[in-house]
Amino acid sequence: MNTRKLRVIIPVALMVAIGVGFAFNSGIGTLSAIGWKDISLLCPLGALGTMIASKTLIPQAVVSLVLAVAAILLLGRAFCTWACPVPIVGKLRDVFKKPARAEDAGATADLEADGASPAKARAIVAEEHAVARAQTPLTPAEKKALKGGCASCGSLCASQPATFDSRHFVLGGALLSAAIFGFPVFCLICPIGLTFATIMLVMLLFGGGDVTWSLVAAPALLVVEVLLLRKWCANFCPLSALMSLVAKGNRTFKPAIANEVCLETAKGATCDLCGAACEVGIDVRHPERGAAWSECTKCRACVEVCPTQAITMPLLPKRSASASTLGSFDEEAETAR
Amino acid sequence: MTDTEERTGAAPEARRRPTLTRRGLCLGLGGMAALAAVGSVKYLGDTPVVRPPGGQDTEALLSACIRCQKCTEICPRDVIVPSHIENGILGTRTPALNFAENYCNFCAEENGGVPLCAAVCPTGALAAPPTPAEETVVLGLAEVNTDWCLAYKLIGCRFCYDACPYEAIELDEYNRPVVIEDTCNGCGACEAACVSLENGSITEGATARAIVVVPPSEN
Repeated sequence: MNTRKLRVIIPVALMVAIGVGFAFNSGIGTLSAIGWKDISLLCPLGALGTMIASKTLIPQAVVSLVLAVAAILLLGRAFCTWACPVPIVGKLRDVFKKPARAEDAGATADLEADGASPAKARAIVAEEHAVARAQTPLTPAEKKALKGGCASCGSLCASQPATFDSRHFVLGGALLSAAIFGFPVFCLICPIGLTFATIMLVMLLFGGGDVTWSLVAAPALLVVEVLLLRKWCANFCPLSALMSLVAKGNRTFKPAIANEVCLETAKGATCDLCGAACEVGIDVRHPERGAAWSECTKCRACVEVCPTQAITMPLLPKRSASASTLGSFDEEAETAR
Repeated sequence: MTDTEERTGAAPEARRRPTLTRRGLCLGLGGMAALAAVGSVKYLGDTPVVRPPGGQDTEALLSACIRCQKCTEICPRDVIVPSHIENGILGTRTPALNFAENYCNFCAEENGGVPLCAAVCPTGALAAPPTPAEETVVLGLAEVNTDWCLAYKLIGCRFCYDACPYEAIELDEYNRPVVIEDTCNGCGACEAACVSLENGSITEGATARAIVVVPPSEN
């Protein structure tokens, strides 16, 4: 089953449900404090911010934090794919952008016309790319990097994701600013809050005739954060930082590769489609190369892109699957057999 | 076997990630600076607004409110709106009362006199007031603008007088409304009932209704 469309439909449905709930005074709240009437699950960052700023222990906030940690341990950053409205807002960028890699799309279309399955066609195109890359002469920078080893490479290594990145600074800044200024500063500019604020302000404008400049300011700030600043989620979002920190303890629903079917281990082919499909930069086949597993948003893109259906997301890791993350696939191929 | 050993031996080297890239440091510090700038809107000053029941301590409200809009949503009479940015950036999207269509009855009919907004507030930014809330909470004070009020043009309008649930408005010798300050709790029934703006030709230049609730004075 392809979940590509579901990844848009589910967050949009959630936004619609919250909008309808707002229209009918239902008391389900927004994602900042979702629940029923006086029982709410607070946003973990909001819960921390409000307790730090008001210097009070709020029982509902503490309970929400505990539940949030439990949910993240079980599901990792699944919220980012399956509930958060920000990636949906980010998709508006594609509306203004001309379709990228039209050449590839054309190539896959040609192959598909020849009778190959879409996944297979993509695999072939990917392989062609790999061959092309191997044939291009090295750039001076690459040559220098090869000569001097890792210490001298700079730019090449910089492309590798760090364990501690800019989001963690923003997370620290969000908590620190709440303490210094005495109010949850980040909540004022949170794009999730701004998305729902925009929906509500529009509804209030047409429902109650409430005219305000907030109606311009809220979406404008949202556009700046999500559309103009590139990669909000990867570079700035403190919630994603918080979730990835907790998700270091996540072991469930982790993508696992069946080496006996994977093109690379079974046939020695170069594929790397799973790594290319991952939106947070995890290289599923070679986890040591890309982002950490704690970044996984459980979006299933790798599962679906795999031409041989070798990737699954089991509830609990299997023994052989856990070995695959160590990168010693010779040994592992044997155990798989 | 030697091949396997070599691979496992090389693996930890390859797996080591940089702890922090220069780009990450720059973006992160930029983000922190932006948050500091946003935080300093606190010193710009806000125009006081009329708050829902339990939000009368503005400082406590601002320190706890996460702008989740749950109070706006639950309000059965739709009088709670996100505070406008015109009233100050600091309070933007925190709850404020808008009496254009309706007034606050402290949920007397809907929830037995316990305001739903304070009951659902997840952070205690709207602190549950002692019940019955209509007797203990002062949301603000109604003020008559005698330039715009139709009754002060001796037209005989008395909508606000009739609307007040607490008999906090009396009529003077010319049948003009006068607010009794000690009785008024700022529920907004008078403002919701005022028709002065619908009579634009009579009250020329009016930008608001002739009777409006203003926030309680700080003293």
